[in-house]
Amino acid sequence: MDIIKEIYDAVMEGKVEDAASRVQQALNSKAEVNDILNKGLIAAMDVVGEKFGEGELFIPQVLWSANAMKAGLALLKPHFSSTDRTEKGTVVIGTAKGDIHDIGKNLVAIMLEGSGYKVADLGVEVPPERFIEKALEVKADIIAMSALLTTTMPSMGEVVSLLKAKKLPFKVIVGGAPVDQAFCQEIGADAYGMDAADGLRKIKGLLGR
Amino acid sequence: MNLQVSREDLLKQLGYKEPPQPRLQDMVFEMLGLLDGLVEPRLAFKGIQDEKDLPPFLTGAVLKYAGAATLGPKLENRVKDLFDEGKAAEAYILDTAGSIAMTKAGDILWDDIRQDAEAKGFKKGLRRTPGCRGIDLETQQWIFGKLADLDLGIKLTTSYMMFPRKSLSFLARFGGRLKGAFSCKGCPQYTDCTLRG
Repeated sequence: MDIIKEIYDAVMEGKVEDAASRVQQALNSKAEVNDILNKGLIAAMDVVGEKFGEGELFIPQVLWSANAMKAGLALLKPHFSSTDRTEKGTVVIGTAKGDIHDIGKNLVAIMLEGSGYKVADLGVEVPPERFIEKALEVKADIIAMSALLTTTMPSMGEVVSLLKAKKLPFKVIVGGAPVDQAFCQEIGADAYGMDAADGLRKIKGLLGR
Repeated sequence: MNLQVSREDLLKQLGYKEPPQPRLQDMVFEMLGLLDGLVEPRLAFKGIQDEKDLPPFLTGAVLKYAGAATLGPKLENRVKDLFDEGKAAEAYILDTAGSIAMTKAGDILWDDIRQDAEAKGFKKGLRRTPGCRGIDLETQQWIFGKLADLDLGIKLTTSYMMFPRKSLSFLARFGGRLKGAFSCKGCPQYTDCTLRG
């Protein structure tokens, strides 16, 4: 079987060791690094994301695939030159100030990494200023925020207000159980992620990649 | 206290209507085995005798209660460790199993309160948790003030959230007239809420 197809299958099936060994095998056989990345790893993860969005796959399988993709990507990175862009973009992620719930945020972070984004995870109870400091530090494209409670949602609006006041270009995506499209529009965020798969889709849409 | 989580309930909660691949079933089985050793449930309630400075939900009730339950810190520490070890699927499955166990602990607490109320002649009651529409999250402070002398091991953050996170609290009322103290409609959790009477 074509080695790229084997990489694709390993990621689809969420087999971390298989993905890593097939990527290494492909590198040893001088396969094109871009083919391994785009036709193997990323192509598979895109399909996994679609199937998740359609309810064909569920979170545990997506996490396996994301880990398989990460394992393959780690082997590929040294083969890209410093000017190659191996990441699709950089996302600063965290849970809103006052909120300690992080399972959903962790899942989104893992799925983003598994889809080829660089993620700076600030953890929980992140003050608005911290999101901005980190976004400047890592030259982020996106700030992603999550809140589980209505009482902690307003802090996400503070981040948007600070960005506008400072005229900073970072896009903002918000999510979490009590958050909806209306709230997203009310605070002037760029996108609302209904769930992890939707968040991933919206981030791809915001960045065009 | 029986907080046993069945494999079927866990798979359903994870989204699977049909049995998934054997690898996932094995992982679910493994996480359920782990759950048993990580859950240290504590729960307690108190009857409230005060008539003044009550949260609006309790105003006018004949019997009033505040209660809380927790699974203890070991479970969420293990979930964090699993995430840190790169075992995200295991972490997510274990956390989901913990959420089911937490719901069961809440139901047991509610049963205990209902039994207490029934012994006093009241069969029908309502329970509501802070954060639901009409009951401010700040009410947590009032509840845990009332439960302060009970060794539950739950701490509140400055934003009134509970540590360990796998904890819950609620107010309960029996008898008397409920005069618009709250409205469930409009609550973001309305369709999924397990607490609605």
